[in-house]
Amino acid sequence: MGFFPALPIMTSRVTLRPFTRGDVDAVFDYRSREEVALYLFDAPLSRDECALAIQQRISQTSWTEEGDKIVLAAELTETGALIGEVSLIWRSSEARQGEIGWIFHPDYHGRGYATEAARALFDLGFKGADLHRIFARCDARNDSSWRLMERLGMRREAHFREHALFKGGWDEEMVYAVLRREWLNDA
Amino acid sequence: MSGLDLPLTTDRLVLRTFERSDVPLVSHYHLLPGVQRYLVRPTRYREDVSEAVEIMRSQVGLQRPGDTLTLAMQRRGDKALLGHVSLKWSDATAGQGELLFAIDPAEAGHGFLTEALTSMLNLAFDHFHIHRVFVRCDGRDHHSAKLMQKLGMRLEAHYREHALFQGEWDEELHFAILDREWQASAKVRPLPLRESVA
Repeated sequence: MGFFPALPIMTSRVTLRPFTRGDVDAVFDYRSREEVALYLFDAPLSRDECALAIQQRISQTSWTEEGDKIVLAAELTETGALIGEVSLIWRSSEARQGEIGWIFHPDYHGRGYATEAARALFDLGFKGADLHRIFARCDARNDSSWRLMERLGMRREAHFREHALFKGGWDEEMVYAVLRREWLNDA
Repeated sequence: MSGLDLPLTTDRLVLRTFERSDVPLVSHYHLLPGVQRYLVRPTRYREDVSEAVEIMRSQVGLQRPGDTLTLAMQRRGDKALLGHVSLKWSDATAGQGELLFAIDPAEAGHGFLTEALTSMLNLAFDHFHIHRVFVRCDGRDHHSAKLMQKLGMRLEAHYREHALFQGEWDEELHFAILDREWQASAKVRPLPLRESVA
């Protein structure tokens, strides 16, 4: 089995497309910031690290085995500005599970672009890849992230306290999820 | 992680390591459908039970992460074997432990598991200095869920259909308690309210 989505994906204002080598500066502009890295597993990235990450992502546009990631650049269709990135990871083939994630440039927060991009990714996962459940994880302190998950109709399934170490301290992690039938009824 | 003093004793129980001669006693509850339903490694036949007992017999301490300590719950008076309780050292860097258990349904509801698990939580926190202990149970297993709340554990997760379990979509609950919460509860205090999840 494998999944090779037709790209790009267009929503009303956003285009989700594969990364290209020319995206390094635009990605560096948000991934280098402390405020963006605060709740990510990665520290702020240097320009070289961004270039390396993008090199990887160029080919992350399909799934051929469990664990594979589809990582797409989100750009404003009207201006072509790169505003962030979204990802969908194939977590389990037997139980048809996927994990969704996103990182957006702070300059573009609060305008519904992430909601729009995430919705398109849920459609891709449920309708395109026939997933049964899609989940997302975030730091419990990352209010804007879990509020977005709630707006998307995801249920809070877990709130772990100190179940692992995160950046030298105890973590607090939330897990949100939505099932295929919940998403398709909602859409 | 040495200096473990076994068996552990509670008011009505002796918690001791398993012996080869326990196989018939374990078969008595291990093969029951109600017990099978929630076991991670089901035993359908008597031969499977001797294998299970062999494994439990080897689980006598926590030397390295991944190790499990399994103890038989034996009633003090009549020496009846009521079930077993396990503590798994699941993660060393973050000091995480998992409790697992099974009881003969005929003996359930008399507080034996409460006694045994209280003793195991003391062991986990006081002896092994574990930071957080968690329990996973099936969403339909109301007895376990009630027991966890009685022990003061918080409901941390309620997964729906996140995996296949024995050929069906699962529903899995996670309960957890931190070392400072267990110490603070000092065994007799109003239980913390359960967190709202799902």
